[in-house]
Amino acid sequence: MIEQVILFAPLVGAIIGGFGWKVIGEKGALLLTTGLLFLAALLSWIVFLTFDGATQHIEILRYISSGSLDTSWAIRLDRLTTIMLIVVTTVSSLVHLYSWGYMAHDENWTHDEPYKARFFAYLSLFTFAMLMLVTADNLVQMFFGWEGVGLASYLLIGFYYKKPSANAAAIKAFVVNRVGDFGFMLGIATLFFLTDSINFDTIFTHAPALAKTNVTFLWSQWNAADLVGVLLFVGASGKSAQLFLHTWLPDAMEGPTPVSALIHAATMVTAGVFLVCRMSPIYEFAPAAKELVLIIGATTAFFAATVGLVQNDIKRVIAYSTCSQLGYMFAAAGSGVYSVAMFHLLTHAFFKALLFLCAGSVITAMHHEQDMRNYGNLRKKIPFTFWMMVVGTLAITGVGIPFSKELFGIPIGFAGFDSKDAIIEASYAAGSMYGFWMLVIAAVFTAFYSWRLIFMTFYGPEKGDHHKHEHAHESPMVMLIPLGVLGLGAAFSGMVGYNYFFGNEHMLGQFFSLGEHGAPGTGAIYMGATNHVIETAHHLPEWVGVSAFIAMLLGFGVAWVMYIARPDLPARMAAANRPLYLFLLNKWYFDEIYDAILVKPAVALGRFLWKKGDGEVIDGTINGVSMGIVPWFTRLTARAQSGYLFHYAFAMVIGIGVLMTWMTLTGGAH
Amino acid sequence: MSRRWSLEAEKEPDVDHLLREYLPILIFLVIAVALGLVLVLAAVVLAVRNPDPEKLSAYECGFNAFDDARMKFDVRFYLVSILFIIFDLEVAFLFPWAVAFSGLSLVAFWSMMIFLAVLTVGFAYEWKKGALEWE
Amino acid sequence: MNPGDLSTALPEVLISVYAMAALLFGVYTGKDRTAGLLTWTTAAVFVLVAIWIGTISGHRTAFDGLFIDDGFARFAKVTVLLSAAAVLVIGHDYMNRRGLMRFEYPIVIALAVIGMMVMVSANDLMSLYMGLELQSLSLYIVASIRRGDAKSTEAGLKYFILGALSSGLLLYGASLTYGFAGTTSFSGILSTVQQGAMPIGLLFGLVFLLSGLAFKVSAVPFHMWTPDVYEGAPTPVTAFFATAPKVAAMALIARLAEGAFGSAPKDWGQVLALLSVASMFWGAIAAIGQRDIKRLMAYSSITHMGFALMGLAAGTAGGVQAMLIYMAIYVTMNVGTFAFILSMQKDGEPVTDIDSLRMYSRREPLKALALLVLMFSLAGVPPMVGFFAKFYVLKAAVDAHMAWLAILGVIASVIGAFYYLRIVFYMYFGEEREGIDAGGMSAGAWVGLMGSAAIMLLGVVNLFGIGSLAQAAAATLVH
Repeated sequence: MIEQVILFAPLVGAIIGGFGWKVIGEKGALLLTTGLLFLAALLSWIVFLTFDGATQHIEILRYISSGSLDTSWAIRLDRLTTIMLIVVTTVSSLVHLYSWGYMAHDENWTHDEPYKARFFAYLSLFTFAMLMLVTADNLVQMFFGWEGVGLASYLLIGFYYKKPSANAAAIKAFVVNRVGDFGFMLGIATLFFLTDSINFDTIFTHAPALAKTNVTFLWSQWNAADLVGVLLFVGASGKSAQLFLHTWLPDAMEGPTPVSALIHAATMVTAGVFLVCRMSPIYEFAPAAKELVLIIGATTAFFAATVGLVQNDIKRVIAYSTCSQLGYMFAAAGSGVYSVAMFHLLTHAFFKALLFLCAGSVITAMHHEQDMRNYGNLRKKIPFTFWMMVVGTLAITGVGIPFSKELFGIPIGFAGFDSKDAIIEASYAAGSMYGFWMLVIAAVFTAFYSWRLIFMTFYGPEKGDHHKHEHAHESPMVMLIPLGVLGLGAAFSGMVGYNYFFGNEHMLGQFFSLGEHGAPGTGAIYMGATNHVIETAHHLPEWVGVSAFIAMLLGFGVAWVMYIARPDLPARMAAANRPLYLFLLNKWYFDEIYDAILVKPAVALGRFLWKKGDGEVIDGTINGVSMGIVPWFTRLTARAQSGYLFHYAFAMVIGIGVLMTWMTLTGGAH
Repeated sequence: MSRRWSLEAEKEPDVDHLLREYLPILIFLVIAVALGLVLVLAAVVLAVRNPDPEKLSAYECGFNAFDDARMKFDVRFYLVSILFIIFDLEVAFLFPWAVAFSGLSLVAFWSMMIFLAVLTVGFAYEWKKGALEWE
Repeated sequence: MNPGDLSTALPEVLISVYAMAALLFGVYTGKDRTAGLLTWTTAAVFVLVAIWIGTISGHRTAFDGLFIDDGFARFAKVTVLLSAAAVLVIGHDYMNRRGLMRFEYPIVIALAVIGMMVMVSANDLMSLYMGLELQSLSLYIVASIRRGDAKSTEAGLKYFILGALSSGLLLYGASLTYGFAGTTSFSGILSTVQQGAMPIGLLFGLVFLLSGLAFKVSAVPFHMWTPDVYEGAPTPVTAFFATAPKVAAMALIARLAEGAFGSAPKDWGQVLALLSVASMFWGAIAAIGQRDIKRLMAYSSITHMGFALMGLAAGTAGGVQAMLIYMAIYVTMNVGTFAFILSMQKDGEPVTDIDSLRMYSRREPLKALALLVLMFSLAGVPPMVGFFAKFYVLKAAVDAHMAWLAILGVIASVIGAFYYLRIVFYMYFGEEREGIDAGGMSAGAWVGLMGSAAIMLLGVVNLFGIGSLAQAAAATLVH
């Protein structure tokens, strides 16, 4: 019962708040949606803390029964679900609260245009869809949630629908996600084709058999498990903005900042990681697909970090940071340590939401100025925001005490220190040197751009519009409280979770109900009998363990030199290496390439079909027939209807003549 | 059955037979023509001729024989002739019925009675409607 | 002959006796003052006989096989009787108000109905012609019932002369058929045809017979009388022309084609398919130019006959079933539409110009809505019942491997949709003009309009079961 309440509370809030706010008032809608979300968050924590590890299926409705396709709408309650429940509801409820302050005044709307209830209804709708996704007991139900969050994301990116750029960004997000969704759908269809079921339990029990099956897809033979793994990963990389399908995420920053925090940092974009972890029994039997996940994840982490180095929009920096961190998570999943991927997902949710909300606080303070080149010296004016942002930065860059694990049993440090370093170690343990080095270099860049953000925003001289600096002020309490809560999470969630997710194999096994390498599907995640990555990761050379720490120090140092000690250096370096700078600034020209090879031809084709095909051929034909030929015949018939009897009789005689001739020539022949 | 036009008559003996069958008709035809000629010639030779325009006009129905076809005419002429045709046909049915009366079954008898009754209904209607009154 | 023969034909005998009694009653009592009473009585007799026929079952022949009473005949008879009754009821008020109400009118209608009943029960070229002529002669009279009006007289005269021509064609076809088959009985012709290849003479006879009957259903190119007669005849008579005689003639074509030439469906199927295509297109295209709603309905009925012929052209039991369903629905739609046309008047004078319907929905929303439903149904827009009528004939054509015919039918119905929708457009959009008066609809016509519209909507559930009835009826005809 409690699970149903968690699931449906946001939906109730969305419906009543969205459609009934005129009845209950704007304030009432805000109170209702936020209140229901906090209720859901509270219940989620209760469920999480009391959960015993055994997978439960809570049926809500009979869903589909058609032929051999038979499935129910049910909540699958296991460790993965409970983790996602707390992540989603906690961040969502905090974002709801934060939005009270952030959305209080908005210059995009005039006084008589109510927008708040709509915004909160969308947020709640998103939360419902996300909960549908994470509680799904079968692939179609998951797909429903998957599309639901896509819809909510579309609505919220385009929330300022008067801005053309917002609409374009919303459409871009939707279209790029369609590409991924198509892969996801193919994956679902392939699984149904192979296992005759879409229920997770059935699919998981078939996983070993899939590894021994070959299917023909497109033009060649594939191993079934690998094929499914790749297709599902296409879907995941669309939603989680992995390389090649990442282009929508930076543009999605057109949405209000709370949306960026909730959807495009903490929850929705991690759905792809969740999918891969959920399908771990498949990936454990699909080594090639796993390899692909690792490579794409590591490359994304590297690629996005390089782009983040030179961005000037505060939200875009964090957006690329998100993209990069998602790459880390996929690298973890690709290494076979799904628990670590989930660990980083959890900690990332806290510190990235924190960073975004802090950025939002900075933006409010600076009157919706987002360019960091116009910031500077803000730490005095908005001290609480500054300190919270530093906490977030310490977490993302992974600041902690090296070798403290040997002393205290857990590494003492901020969240990223535990989770991100675990990923880097795991990738080394998985034997992928490419992945390992990519992630280490990305860690250097991460530290650089994160500290660059801090230095450019809070230190140095005041730049840009003087007026805005004078009026900069700390945000209201409703915005600061969420920062504080998330700050706690960013600081401590890593240390609390370390042993459950990575450090202690026994605790990990219990936490995820792994059993003694039981059959796939018994636990929340599945690690194959030959998967010893975690064990190996605990016995690595010393230098591997500290490499991430060194990378962090390196990044911090360079940032300090370039933005505190020698503020003239960045401009000179950019001038000296202009091609490289432009390459990074323009995001490796991905948008331009896509525009040239995909968008332009598609638009040209569409224009051709519209103007020539539809306009001239179809409309032209129909207009010609209906306005030219048919009236011509009509006039002919009117002339034939002369009123003269002998014409009529003549027509009859002609008719007989024609029929006789026809029959003589054809019918009479036999 | 469906090939009744097949030319069996080409065979010699049947031609004679066929012609012999038609002989009475030929005789009848000759007599009729001859009688007609005799009567016409007799009239020419014997009759007193006293012509006047009324006598010379055709039919005396109120129409000129050669005139514009688009003219008003009294529909009652046609009414009477139509009514006449109905009873004319009635008689045409009645004659064979009467000739074979002694051999008729009860059904045949009552069939004619019903037929006459139906005609009578029509007759009663036209009478009451005034179709038989000239003015 | 035996007493059983009379009982087989008892419905016809009964209506004949009624007609004669009514004639004498009328002429010997109040003359035209009894017209109202006779109209209602005649309608009641029709309905009662229809109900009675509905209870009869079995398969009987009478008069040495001249007359047949089977499920097919009964289906057609019930349709004819009910539609004739409906037309009498909806037209009563109009006739009264225009001073056209002669007591002979319902009686002549009754005689026409007897003719139609004999037609659908005909099992021999003799009885076919007898029924056809009885019907035709009655129709000639009612077409020109408004004697003083030039248009009505012209309509009657044209119909008479062309009808005589078509009768001539029919008789010529009958004599050719008799000459080559050696018999006039349908079953005899059937066995002759079955014996082998059809002689060309018989084929010609078939074409002439079908041509003569095509005149009665106003199939192109034997349709030319239709618009003139529809326009010239008083509207209630037009309504009658558009309904019952079409059903009877269509049933007769089915009977002749299936009953007498059933073993050569390819031959007459071709003829009917040609007539069907010509009718569908000619009717649809010519109607576009019409501003007079009665002429428009004439072309509409030509198109609809084309569709019904498509069912027959398929030459299957499904095709006959589709035709019967089509005719039943067509008749219902036309009764409703003519109920509306009868009520169209401006300052007490009847008008038939479709321009007078502009913005009619403002003045009479309910009636406009009912007419909208009927127009949609006539055009074949789902979910109105008219769509299913078309659906069945198209399906029959496709099932009989005549997909080309079905495709042409769909194209024709698209063209035809234009003029139905134009009426709807006039009623709901565009500028308002001084149009027809509000109100002025008799109770009978109102019930006819609303009932018909309601049937068009509610029938979507199961077509009131006529689907299975028509199937049973078709099964008795096609073996």
